[in-house]
Amino acid sequence: MFARLVGESFIRNPRRKVLTAAALVVGMAVATATLTVALDVGDRMSREFRSLGANLLVTPQSDTLPLEIGGIDYRPVDEGAYLPENDLGKLKMIFWRHNILGFTPFLDVPASISSTMGGAGKPATLIGTWYEHAVSVPDGTTFKTGAKSTHPWWSIRGRWFQDGSNECVVGATLAALHGGELAIGKTIYVSPSGLPGAPEPLVVTGIVSTGGAEDRAVLVPLSVAQRLSGHAGSFRQLFVSALTKPADALAERDPKTLTAAEYDQWFCAPYISSISFQIRQVLPGTDVRAIRRVADSEGRILSRISTLLWVVTIAALVAAGLAVAATSAATILDRQKEIGIMKAMGATNTLVAGIFLAEQLMLAMAGGAIGFVLGAELARVLGASVFGTPAEPHIILLPVALALALVVAVMGSLIPLRRASHFDPAPILRGE
Amino acid sequence: MFGRLLWRLLRGNRGRLAVALVSVASGAAVISALLNLDFDIERKLTQEFRSLGANVTIARTGAARGGDLNALTPGLSGSPVLMDQDVVLHQMEQARTPDVAAAAPYLYIVARAEEKPVVVAGTWLDQLPKLEPTWKMQGNWIAARESEAQCLVGRNAARQLHVEPGGPLELNYLGRREQLRVAGVIDAGSAEDNQVFVTLPVAQRLAGLPGRIEIVQVSVSGTAGGISRYASRLASSLPGYDVRPLRQVTEAEGNLLNRTRFLIVSMVVLILVLTALCVLATMAALAMERRADVGLMKALGGSMSRILRLFLAEVSVLGAAGGLIGCVAGMALAHWLGQRVFGTPIQPRWEIFPLTIALMTGVALAGALPLRLLGSVRPAVILRGE
Repeated sequence: MFARLVGESFIRNPRRKVLTAAALVVGMAVATATLTVALDVGDRMSREFRSLGANLLVTPQSDTLPLEIGGIDYRPVDEGAYLPENDLGKLKMIFWRHNILGFTPFLDVPASISSTMGGAGKPATLIGTWYEHAVSVPDGTTFKTGAKSTHPWWSIRGRWFQDGSNECVVGATLAALHGGELAIGKTIYVSPSGLPGAPEPLVVTGIVSTGGAEDRAVLVPLSVAQRLSGHAGSFRQLFVSALTKPADALAERDPKTLTAAEYDQWFCAPYISSISFQIRQVLPGTDVRAIRRVADSEGRILSRISTLLWVVTIAALVAAGLAVAATSAATILDRQKEIGIMKAMGATNTLVAGIFLAEQLMLAMAGGAIGFVLGAELARVLGASVFGTPAEPHIILLPVALALALVVAVMGSLIPLRRASHFDPAPILRGE
Repeated sequence: MFGRLLWRLLRGNRGRLAVALVSVASGAAVISALLNLDFDIERKLTQEFRSLGANVTIARTGAARGGDLNALTPGLSGSPVLMDQDVVLHQMEQARTPDVAAAAPYLYIVARAEEKPVVVAGTWLDQLPKLEPTWKMQGNWIAARESEAQCLVGRNAARQLHVEPGGPLELNYLGRREQLRVAGVIDAGSAEDNQVFVTLPVAQRLAGLPGRIEIVQVSVSGTAGGISRYASRLASSLPGYDVRPLRQVTEAEGNLLNRTRFLIVSMVVLILVLTALCVLATMAALAMERRADVGLMKALGGSMSRILRLFLAEVSVLGAAGGLIGCVAGMALAHWLGQRVFGTPIQPRWEIFPLTIALMTGVALAGALPLRLLGSVRPAVILRGE
């Protein structure tokens, strides 16, 4: 009997439910979309931050003081400590290996360059590095990395040098200073300062603009810099770009003071401190430090953006709830006369409320489900237009959307239903 | 007459109107709070980005240091690397805008401390905390630009030179000596960890280069476009100098800012739609309830246009009042949110008031569209109670 009443109400008078259903669908779609985006945003924004480049710096532990001015190390090649290049594959073997997005070793060599063999040399710094280098990882795979992933803002005219070949790329400022001598396609002769040996010819393949010290230097493949400086298989500095989680109370503490359980939790969270700890374990004798300027800013800005987004998400949820509640209330008020007739025919308040709530429940289930599908699609579009890759739907949000729809639909009908319970059927039927 | 009718209408239905008012006001509060947040978010986030450090540098065009350590040491006075402090700083003062968060000139020399070569950076030490807010300091920052006897030491340099906060440090450059006291040790996580920071005059005295600087670092807040406009304005007043935005910072900044804003704006639009829906439903319910009133008015001889005007006026009053109340609440909400999210309150934007009120009145009027149906109301039918 009850089921038939509800069923008939649906079939006979669908128009009256359209508004509530529409509000439910739109409301739950927005709720699903905003929640999907908010759940993903930390990870995605953190990836965006990698366009700032590396956030970890690895240097030899027992080193003389680097004489670095404006990003170039002016130490002679025979001074200070070096790190072995062969170990670098181990970086992709640490616990958080998938969070290591890239790493690039650097070796600066003070040198003189000239445009002719045996000509008078001008002082310039050679920066040995990787642009795109295949590193063999101990588990048998290879990992392609280099400045392309750790220094994504470097822009090139011409092309990058081939790894291991006798080619070079000249910084924009240096190229402008020397005019035609350092143009693309020319050959330059470089010899390291203070070391014997014949000058080595390098073909200029491109002009690089970085906005930093590299604009005034010559970039060469790491192997060339190693050969010229006489330090085969070595480098001085390693920049690592890692996806990290913003630091919280646990990350700030000294790992030595943590209890076993806390230590596990710390080790298994991609904090910048735990990742640098793990790098230090696989690269002994190194000093691994967070580049504060990048790492701290990232943590701070990320946590602000995600708080902001949660605020907006909550606002969206509230607005969705309000909209559904308001339309449910409006619909029920609109059906006063129906309630009057029911009551006049002897329906109790409980029965009236039961019928209306059952209707709302069915509407909420249907509206919530449709809203979830639409919302997942909306989040996909939003994710694609903001971050370039669509946001994957979280199936966990389906029950959330359904429950939310149920709660707001019922809440929205409670107040008008309570009022309806006070109705005296006679004046309503009289049309007052 | 019209006014009195309107007043009576509003007073006579206080209960229902209160519900509608609450609905309009809460919608207006959410919208005005978010709009306020959205207007202010760019400024707030660009300020946050200043923790990335300097984003504009000024140097001599084409200046390139020699690759040779010995070339760094003597005879720098003739080097094209250096700039005249007075000229550059004067022009910077001229081009100064409120967006310039911090600026400092630098002179770098490779001096010796305990017979070890170390990079000494002469700068305005009081600007460092603003220029590099992420640096960690063990000891004290130096607040006065004139305190020449003090210096700051990078973490690695402190370890190698065996100094700590409060201890002495002697710098030696070609026989010229300076006795300094270490005020604090810096943890920067970058090349600065290997340097010693002294006041600019001390570095100039050591180098024997009074009034000369090598580079100026400026931290400018604003969008990527604003920063490059500042840089090009400065460049045009400093011919022969190289003024450039640090691409690493400005590009990432612009990228992140755009994405965040787009995200927030699209969410705000969604919320706007929902709020409009909510107000629309409330208004439609209100309008439908008015059918009996319309019947009575018509029976008493009121023309349809006049009746409609009356109801539209009622609805607009409701929209405007709800908008105003909601706006005040929304501003308070935005203020509180700003405090929570950014630590500083959000600047109230007064243009949001008319915007929200207009929006709410518009939505309320749209919600009253079913009133149009009232034209077909036949008084006899309504009064009979059908």
